[in-house]
This record gives sequence, C-alpha cells and structure tokens, in this order.
Amino acid sequence: MNAPHTAGMTTIAAVRAAGLVKRYGELAAVDGVDLEIAPGEFFGLLGPNGSGKTTTMHMLATLIRPSAGTASVAGFDIGRAPVRVRASIGLVFQESALDRTLTVAQNLRFAGLLHDLAPRVIEERSRELLELFDLTERRDQPVGALSGGMRRALDIVRGVLHQPRCLLLDEPTIGLDLPNRRRIWRFIERLRARTGMTVLLTTHYLEEADGCDRVVFIRKGRLVESGAPQSLVARLGRHILEVESASLDALVAALEPRLGAALREGDVAHFRCAEEDLALLAGLQAEIGAKASAWRVRRPNLNDVFLWVEAGKRVA
Amino acid sequence: MLVRPVYAVLERELLRMARQRTRLVAAMVRPLIWLLVIGGGFAAIVGVDYKSFLVPGVLGMTMLFGAMLAALGTVYDKESGVMRMMLVAPLPRAWMVVAKLIAAAAAAAVQALLLLVLLALLGYVGRRTEWGLLAAALAATSFACAGIGMLTASFSRTLENFAGIMNFVIFPVFFLSGSLYPVRELPPALYWAATLNPYTYGVDLLKHALLAGPGADFSVALDLAVLAAATIASAAVASWRFSRESAYEPMIHVPAGRAR
Repeated sequence: MNAPHTAGMTTIAAVRAAGLVKRYGELAAVDGVDLEIAPGEFFGLLGPNGSGKTTTMHMLATLIRPSAGTASVAGFDIGRAPVRVRASIGLVFQESALDRTLTVAQNLRFAGLLHDLAPRVIEERSRELLELFDLTERRDQPVGALSGGMRRALDIVRGVLHQPRCLLLDEPTIGLDLPNRRRIWRFIERLRARTGMTVLLTTHYLEEADGCDRVVFIRKGRLVESGAPQSLVARLGRHILEVESASLDALVAALEPRLGAALREGDVAHFRCAEEDLALLAGLQAEIGAKASAWRVRRPNLNDVFLWVEAGKRVA
Repeated sequence: MLVRPVYAVLERELLRMARQRTRLVAAMVRPLIWLLVIGGGFAAIVGVDYKSFLVPGVLGMTMLFGAMLAALGTVYDKESGVMRMMLVAPLPRAWMVVAKLIAAAAAAAVQALLLLVLLALLGYVGRRTEWGLLAAALAATSFACAGIGMLTASFSRTLENFAGIMNFVIFPVFFLSGSLYPVRELPPALYWAATLNPYTYGVDLLKHALLAGPGADFSVALDLAVLAAATIASAAVASWRFSRESAYEPMIHVPAGRAR
C-alpha cells in the first residue's frame, strides 16, 4: 500500500477538479466542472439523466480522459498517476461489475487479487463486509442467483474491499425497489460510520441526497447550484404553492405579477413563496382559488430545488 | 505488485474452464474426431501412416481453439460487465492484456496436456517423442495462439461476431498451416500463405517434438523465433487497441445525447 502521510491527509482534498471538460464531437457532455471535496465528506452530484454526472465520475476514476481541465483524487493527478488514483478509489458502476457465473466469495477474491490484496486479507475483509451488508449466507452462491438488491450490495462490497479512501457511487440505488434502496442507504451509512471514507455519489432520486453533507446540481455539463441540502431548500423559499387548473394560463398570468415567475409542469404551476407571503396567499386563494382545481401550499424539498434548477432558474 | 492480478485472471479462467464441462469435452472430442475419423478415412487413400502425421496437428488444434475461446472471453467480459472490475483495478491497461494472454495460454496448455494424456492412452504418443521439445512447443504454441486470440478480441466489439471469427480467423489459421499436410508440398499460393501464418510454426515445432523430425518443414530455431515474435507483436497491438478508451465504450457508458 502507498500509505498516506497522515499529517497531510487533512489538507489534501479528496477530490479536486478544475475546468473539467469532456467533449464527444460537438457535444460537451461535461462543460467546465470545478469541484473540491474534503476528506470524509459525503458529497452528492445531482442531475437528470444525461446531465454529465457519470461522465464526470468516470473522468475522476481515470476511465475516460478529459478533453480539457485537470483533476486529482486523494492527491494524485488523474492524468499523470491514473494507477495510483485507481488504487485510492472504489468505484461502483451503475451496472453490475460482477461475474454472475462465479460465487460471491469467488467474485470478491477476484476483485481483491486484482487490487493486489493477499488471499488471507481478502478472506478477513470479505467476512466482515459480507456481515455488514447482510450477505454472509450468500457467500457460496453464484452471483446470478442473487436478487438485484443483493447484487448491488455486493457491488459495493467489491468496491470497498481494498479500503479506498474515496468511494465513488454512480446511482447506487437505480433500478431497485424502495425497501432495497433503503437497505443500500443503511449499508452506505454503516460503511461511512465505520471507515470515515469520502463518498461521492450521483443520483437522481433527490430524497436520497438529503443525507449528504453537500450537494451540487449539474445541468447540461455545468454545475449550477451547490450547498448543504437544507440550505438549498431554505434558499428556494419557505413555501411552495402548487396550483392545478385546466385553464392554467389565465391563473399564472394573474399570479405571476404578485408571486414571481412560475415553474410549470403540465397542468400544474409552482410558485416560490416567502414566510411573509402567507397572508398574501390566503387573500389570493379567496380571490382566484376557485378557478383552480387544486390549490396546495407546502414545504419545499430537494425535489423542488431540482425542478427549479432543471428549469434553468437560479435558486438563490 | 503485478503478480496477484495476473494470478486473479488466470485463476478465473481456469475456474471457468473447469465449470464449462461441455467446452472441455468438445476440446477433447474435436481433435479426436479429426484424428480417428478424418485421419482414418484419409489413411486409406494416402496410404502412409497419416494418423501419426495428424497427431501434432490435432494437438495444435486444441491449443488454437482453447486459446481463441479463452481470449475471446475478453469480449464476453466486456459485454457482461466483468471487464469493469479489471478497468478499476490499479493496473496499467497493457497489463490487463498481458494477464489475459497468460490466462488464455494457460487454458490452452492445460487442454493440450489433457489431450496428450488421451493420445498417449490411445497409443499415438510415445516412442519417438522428444519431451523437452514437446514442453517448449506446447508453451510457445499456446502463447502464440493466445496472442492471435487477444488480437482478434481487440478487434471484436461484440460476441455476435463469433461465427465470423470462426470462418475468417480460426479456420484459415488452422487449414493454412501444416496441420493436415506437409507445407512444402502445397501449391505456391497456399505455401506462401502457410509460411506467413505464425500458427504453422507451432504445428511444425510439434512435429519436431512428436515425429522426431521427418514430417517437419522448418528448423526448431525458426519455429521458436517466429512464435515468440508473433506473441510479442500481437500482444503489443492488442495492448494498444485495449488502451484506447473507445475500446470500453459502450461498456463504461454511452454519452447521453449521442445515438449509437
């Protein structure tokens, strides 16, 4: 192992990127991304499909080369020291990276040996991690016989077997049902509690990013908003007014002068409201609420931040 | 530092081979059919001890098929996603090709050894065998076949090409060698094709080892030199092919907004 000098650990950013760009022909999949993630931080990269999350992550993991810009992971430059970067990270792909024909234990042995771990070390860590991820009883079953949720859990075990300092999780819960998504999050929590490793996560299940220390929204390859989830939500507003109507145009035209720009989704319009707007809202509801088929005032959440960011609107 | 990863790839290859029983049985039956059925049939026409002449050829065939199938497993790894595990390993890309090459060569050599035991039991190997040379021939031919396999794999995007690979790589390599006939008695065009085929020299080396010389066309030194050169050259080209990032698309991901 190339052991880190402990003194430097706290000062070296886990991930640092400056002006990362990835172009595919005309298309800039990632268009100038700057990141700075502190060691131990739980960091979420959020955005819709095709926004550049995965491309960013794969550049950081040295799987694809940036068209421009630089980045370092655990202090190692992704261009000059790709092998040392890969030794410092664990990467869990959106799709499984396991051999379905081999057993759980055989897959972990394969992954461990590829990371130059001694067989005895692989045995020990596999036992611990399978315990942590509730997979102990599956040890000798072929991976093809596991459920989707178990396979994803095993993929994470595979990704952390070599005790990386930084774990990159690309949509770790995609395609899983709710109970399994919750299980995966419990596992990641346990892992973070136990190892204190930096976790960089991409997801488009926004409610799952609530636990992140910091999130950043990415849109068309550019970072558009960042901050702690709670503060982003707070910046959006105290309340969200949701109005539903068959004749939405007229309603929006009546409300926008008083509440600011609306965010429209089909027959629904969203408005951001401050605390002091509540009185105004009550008045508005009495005045024109009857024209709406639904009139809801609720607290905003990260999904709202996402929707506003997606609509290309600044949240702050 | 690089030994364990190679061992990992090798161990997985042998595990897979041991589990795919039909693949292993086919690897034994195919050469025996050639030897006993085709060899037996032609012996009646040719009139010489044709079956003995075929022994090096069928042994080589086992290595050619064994190494090709193992090396083409790389394409399967890409399709099934197992390649992702290798991609994130802290290894230079070229080393992954070397590891696969070694594993494919080992798979081929193991199958050749199993066939050798069967051939010995049937009485086709024995008296005239030069064992040291045979060991060298098995090693050198396995590696050269694995090299051809990795080269082919580096140019194959999907396993659907497999029929094409059979027709345009494995069969020509096998038939345009001295496996079934002495190279020097081929018509000029075929003769030149055979001399350009590195596999020819593997079979030739096996003839030196098993037939004690008379059936061989080239010198042992030339055979070994060509096999070594072919292995190194194909490994180099395959490494270069696999070090390009496009080699892993769309396995890593398909960039959004880009039609495939």
